[in-house]
Amino acid sequence: MQDISYPINDFGPVIKGMVIGGLGIFHVFLAQFAIGGGMLMCYFQWLAQKGRSAPARRFLDGYFKVLVLVSFVAGALTGVGMWFTTIQISPRTIGVMVEEFHWIWATEWTFFCLEIAAGYAFYRCGKGLTDGARMTLLMLYTVAAWFSLFWINGILSWQLTPGGWTHDRSVWSGFFNPSFWPSLLFRTIVSLTIASLAACVVINAIGAFTREERAELIRRAANCLAPMVLMPLLGVWYLAVIPEDSRSWVQGGSAAMTMFMGISVAASVLIGGYALVGLIWQRLYVSGATATLLLSLAFGATAGGEFVREGVRKPFTVREYLYSNAVKADELAALRRSGGVTADPFPLRNAGAYPTEQLRLGAKVFRFQCSVCHTMSGVNGLTHLAGTWTTEQKRMNIAKLQHTKPFMPPFAGNAEELEALVQLLEWQTAGRPGRWDQSTDRAVIREVQEWLDEAGTAPGTEPHTVGGASPASPDTRQPGKQEGR
Amino acid sequence: MDRMLPFGLPGPTAFYVSLYVATLAVHVVFMNYVLAGVGYLAVASFRGKRKGADGGPVELSDVLRDWMPFATSAAITAGVAPLLFVQILYRKEFYTANLLLFHRWMAILPLLIVGFYLLYLLKTPWIGGQSAVVRGVVALGALACFSFTGLSWTENHLLSTDRASWPGLYERGSMVYYHPQLLPRLGMWAVGAIPTMCALAAWQMYYLQRKGAGVDPRQPRNLARLAIAGVLLSVACGAAYWRQLDASAQGHIVGKAAGPYFAAACFGLVLQVGSWLAHAPRSDFRRQALMVCTLGLALTIAGMTAVREAIRLSVIDVSPLYAQHADAARKGGLVVFVVFFLVNAGLIGWCLCLTRKRSESATVE
Ligand code: HEC
Ligand code: HEM
Repeated sequence: MQDISYPINDFGPVIKGMVIGGLGIFHVFLAQFAIGGGMLMCYFQWLAQKGRSAPARRFLDGYFKVLVLVSFVAGALTGVGMWFTTIQISPRTIGVMVEEFHWIWATEWTFFCLEIAAGYAFYRCGKGLTDGARMTLLMLYTVAAWFSLFWINGILSWQLTPGGWTHDRSVWSGFFNPSFWPSLLFRTIVSLTIASLAACVVINAIGAFTREERAELIRRAANCLAPMVLMPLLGVWYLAVIPEDSRSWVQGGSAAMTMFMGISVAASVLIGGYALVGLIWQRLYVSGATATLLLSLAFGATAGGEFVREGVRKPFTVREYLYSNAVKADELAALRRSGGVTADPFPLRNAGAYPTEQLRLGAKVFRFQCSVCHTMSGVNGLTHLAGTWTTEQKRMNIAKLQHTKPFMPPFAGNAEELEALVQLLEWQTAGRPGRWDQSTDRAVIREVQEWLDEAGTAPGTEPHTVGGASPASPDTRQPGKQEGR
Repeated sequence: MDRMLPFGLPGPTAFYVSLYVATLAVHVVFMNYVLAGVGYLAVASFRGKRKGADGGPVELSDVLRDWMPFATSAAITAGVAPLLFVQILYRKEFYTANLLLFHRWMAILPLLIVGFYLLYLLKTPWIGGQSAVVRGVVALGALACFSFTGLSWTENHLLSTDRASWPGLYERGSMVYYHPQLLPRLGMWAVGAIPTMCALAAWQMYYLQRKGAGVDPRQPRNLARLAIAGVLLSVACGAAYWRQLDASAQGHIVGKAAGPYFAAACFGLVLQVGSWLAHAPRSDFRRQALMVCTLGLALTIAGMTAVREAIRLSVIDVSPLYAQHADAARKGGLVVFVVFFLVNAGLIGWCLCLTRKRSESATVE
């Protein structure tokens, strides 16, 4: 447990999931563009070689420039950025990922090197090379790019569905986990989609083509949208293999998750519909403006998808193993006894702002356990969420945190810490007065302790199944909550 | 550590330390090229006139400008491997330093993107039509971005080894860490980069020379001067840095742990200076002298990277981390990595061969 205490930064009014989700959107979009771009170019190179499309070669060289400028630079650096951001949000999560999968990551890196080498070779010399050499370089580039998705996808999908790893801790059980294939295939199609929409934008932007040439190129690029018909199927497959509670968040269980999912699905349906009916079946022409709009929709779909991906893991960052607030599931019982922040060497930044020692303790508890998903009074702010609850309701609902909302982790501290947190919430809700009494009643601590014991340290379950897996019953939870509302 | 690095360490720790040092050395090669190269471009852009498309003899700045974006890509890509191993070796230290520097640390990413695009901008025809000031400012902008990155890595490194300062820094929320070693250490990286850049650029010009491109005959002399100045300045910064080190770190450097590496690094400097002195009076680049120079460079970089690690190991107590390293070493996947490492290295070689397959009709960009 030695590495549990890290300095925790404050992102102001924003919750941390938004930070990583926000960067993730850009990175995933660019990286998928790079992968799909490779496939698309192999196709165009083939067309050019076979003499099936006269302007294909000119387009290819122009498109490749865009790909290199956008994806080699911004794609690669946002990738490192994802890594750094994950460290900022949850050093323990990335620590576990690196420890478990460092050879997978190292393997991915060898493919990344190949991708850069093949890409630059084509970029610098491609125009002057024989068709065979061009095709080989493009294929190497594409295979390398796709394989970097292959490797990273295993690690990311493991976080939500660790599968057999939960029991045998084997790298390969974790890697080829239940959501590995649906998510790999889904992302592959998304990559092709983004690349061919970007191609439609580039075709319109390059001035050198005649109207006929453009129409011809767009028709070819649109063919790469055809695999989108498989997306609903893969989506259903994916939903079928993810944990039941995660599935329920996107199906109405959590308003935010459902909304992001909705955005993603709606944007995909619009693109897919337009592509299949308009572009492929009726062979319509796409103007630069329409292509840009479609590409923006794809960006919206990616955005929704990334927020969902970050969100549905709650309350874990590694399912059944590591909670979002960096507490390992098997450490919880010990933290209930020793306290969660007893060993935290990092002082508060604004200790002077709190009138009592107890409130300072509460602030540390909030920082350690809650701040990864909540702010005090900004986005998902606790003073809004629990503002109308009585003190008793706060004590009970926080003690039974994982049953209050099963996408929260169990409380990871002792009764004194919980009371300190409750006092902090009261004080904040009261407008942070300059004087505040310490709550020292032993009876309160005993009562909180009882609730903590009732809640247990196992993760929460759906409200209707509470009682089976844990001692808390819906009856003890509901009255408090309903009065609060 | 009373034996030569990494032999004084338990197996798993020694294994990861070796991988870390080896991969970091590769990062240092490219990073040096970028850092010194952009610095040179910044100075040169303010001075000289940009040549037209027809050229005139090839000079150092032509080569640098042409290859700088690729070298940056390579530096970044090569940085990923040590980034992986540093997290296994010194997880807590590295993450804590990252977190304490917070926005300051994260800023290197947008700045690297900006720096990268500025390098591409330096290659465009558009910039050729601009005044020396505009070109200078663009190059200076890129230099600023990369220097900031270098500063941040050094700062992060020193902070990661200074546990005692962590709580105070956090409390102040300052995101800036100062240590008396910071400037001399950074200085060593900055001027130490110059000889690397000179050696790599000399090879590039050597090949251009062989292909019959007109290489400016003053280049060997200019590069020799630059490289020797770089060596002398690094020695000066090294001395300043040495004075800031405490006795135990100094003991490690000249003692059993790192002494042989330090000696190799110094010998490498001598080889480099020797080969540059041989080049100075010439008007073309010589293969043999360049090979000696490269050998010297390899010794210096590998030696200093190992010395750098010995200094860190003298400051932080790694013994509590041994168990963590042993845990990591038990995880699967090593074989798969080795296989793909070899396969992909072969494929990268193939890519290079393919670039020779010129079609009859085409021209090279
Ligand atoms: C894994 C992320 C996560 C963590 C960690 C977390 N919460 Fe929550 N919490 C949520 C989400 C998501 C909601 C739902 C917000 C909504 O309904 O809009 C929520 C809701 C709440 C609510 C309102 C519940 C209700 O029934 O309306 C309270 C109170 C609350 N959290 C307190 C806490 C406290 C106190 C902590 C720290 C001990 C904490 N949470 C830790 C994610 C988290
Ligand atoms: C081109 C811009 C870059 C420059 C100029 C640069 C410069 C440096 C310098 C000067 C150091 C040595 C720090 C010291 O020991 O004092 C260093 C170390 C390092 N760099 Fe880079 N770097 C760059 C980009 C990157 C990137 C993008 C990555 C990651 C992908 C990276 C990974 C590393 C790692 C892992 C270390 C070792 C850190 C440690 O052990 O504490 N570098 N870099």
